[in-house]
Amino acid sequence: MEREFLPKIVSFLCKWCSYTGADLAGINRLQYPTSILPIKVMCSSRVDPVFVIKAYLRGADGVLIGGCHPGDCHYQDGNYHTRRRVAILKRVFELLGLEEGRIRLSWISASEGPKFARVCNEFTEVIKSLGENTTKTTIFL
Amino acid sequence: MNIVPNRGAKISVKNGFRGTILEFLRNSLEKGCFDGILIPMRVPADDSYAWVLVRDKPFLDNANPIAPIVSVQGAKALTSLTRKGGGNFNVAAIMKPCDIRASIELSKLKQVNLEKITLISYDCPGTLEMSNYIENPEESEKIFGSLLDGDVWDDKFTKPICQICDNFSFPACDLHFALLGTENGSIYLIPGTEKGENILDDLGIEYSEDLSNWEKKVIELIKKKEKQKAEKFELVKPTVEGFDNLLKTFANCIGCHNCQSACPICYCRQCYFDSEVSKPNSDFILLRTSKRGGISFPLDRIMFHTGRMSHMSLSCVSCGVCTDACPVSIPVADIFSYVADKTQRTFEYKAGNSTEEPLPMREYRFDELLEIKELVKDADGQD
Ligand code: SF4
Ligand code: SF4
Ligand code: FES
Repeated sequence: MEREFLPKIVSFLCKWCSYTGADLAGINRLQYPTSILPIKVMCSSRVDPVFVIKAYLRGADGVLIGGCHPGDCHYQDGNYHTRRRVAILKRVFELLGLEEGRIRLSWISASEGPKFARVCNEFTEVIKSLGENTTKTTIFL
Repeated sequence: MNIVPNRGAKISVKNGFRGTILEFLRNSLEKGCFDGILIPMRVPADDSYAWVLVRDKPFLDNANPIAPIVSVQGAKALTSLTRKGGGNFNVAAIMKPCDIRASIELSKLKQVNLEKITLISYDCPGTLEMSNYIENPEESEKIFGSLLDGDVWDDKFTKPICQICDNFSFPACDLHFALLGTENGSIYLIPGTEKGENILDDLGIEYSEDLSNWEKKVIELIKKKEKQKAEKFELVKPTVEGFDNLLKTFANCIGCHNCQSACPICYCRQCYFDSEVSKPNSDFILLRTSKRGGISFPLDRIMFHTGRMSHMSLSCVSCGVCTDACPVSIPVADIFSYVADKTQRTFEYKAGNSTEEPLPMREYRFDELLEIKELVKDADGQD
């Protein structure tokens, strides 16, 4: 019997909002899939596009970047810069015909445990419908 | 062309365009406008050109302001000269528009200090393929000479990236030599800044108002280049679109990173891709084979190229030195130029266009980018 495909979603979550939101989801015992592999970063703007590219090319099925809502960044405007960076990264992916849909940026505040769970569920479904990332079976890269 | 200038000084041509520019430089050195001039000079082996900072007038005799090739990007030379600050000496740098554009990007990135530098540019006919030149320098000099003397600048011998360059005239420089479409044995010298105007004043050069012939020719040529660019991009597209095509295009890449070290925009003193942290240990490499069954070396070439695109394409000036530097003839510049054109459009930015336009990664607007598909889910903050 084939095992059901459970994606691997590398998730960069900012310490002040999204990571705390994830904690809250846990404390409230909200259900979300084990596809999410959280990595705590100090701010969403700490996520160099190369982190995302690296995850993608090493076979992550999805990459989630979670930050504070606009205006709420602990470092004032980090997330506005994140948004521009992710925009360029997505543009590059699009131009190269890579699957930009495997990259998602979401704003999740420290009090939004339910939203964190919802984003994880939703994104996991999206990735499931995209299927496995083929880079994980590519030898020449 | 940046902005259309409305006045320039008429200068009569003596000993060709190059001789005329050299004469101007000699005069300005003599009158003390500059303490030195950064200019291409043929290397002793005669098979290439290098940037030389000239202080003594006689050395200018060996210089060539419009060189058929220069192996190093001009902005790199300016970085070496000014990375520790502007200094006390006034230097004129006579460079191609792409060198100027890169210098402007680097000045915004705080790698070049333009305070004491006068940027002098000219209508650029393009440059030759480095490999062709090295093979036969004398023949190449002849070809380039007749190109420059020709009525219509025929770009079929120039580098592919020059064939699609629509930024060949009047970059954001202090002074610009308008060579195209000028008649009766004269060219125009156009000031682009106050600094440039002051130099013309110091030298007692008078202005003439009518630049319309030049303008017409420049616009004509821009149109031609734009068309060639669009056609080229159509050819580049299928070579990079789709993971398999991307892999094919970079299949021969030997991972030498020459493209990056030659690139003027890649200024970081320690690049992530050259650092130890980017080099995994053997156990980790073996882990990476678990699903693949194997892995090829050199590692992470696609990561390097896509990473570089996401790091620096917003400032790429399409100068082409990356292609020149590639030992396995990958058309790196065509690809980066194609990508840069689109990423820069995202922020309506044009690299090197002006010193005032801020770098896109240095600023943001509160309410933007919502149109990029799925960029920020839940941007409305519901839930
Ligand atoms: S990527 Fe290539 S074309 Fe673009 S600035 Fe760098 S060297 Fe020039
Ligand atoms: S110069 Fe050519 S071979 Fe070397 S890393 Fe760049 S693309 Fe690859
Ligand atoms: S601290 Fe959360 S996005 Fe900057």
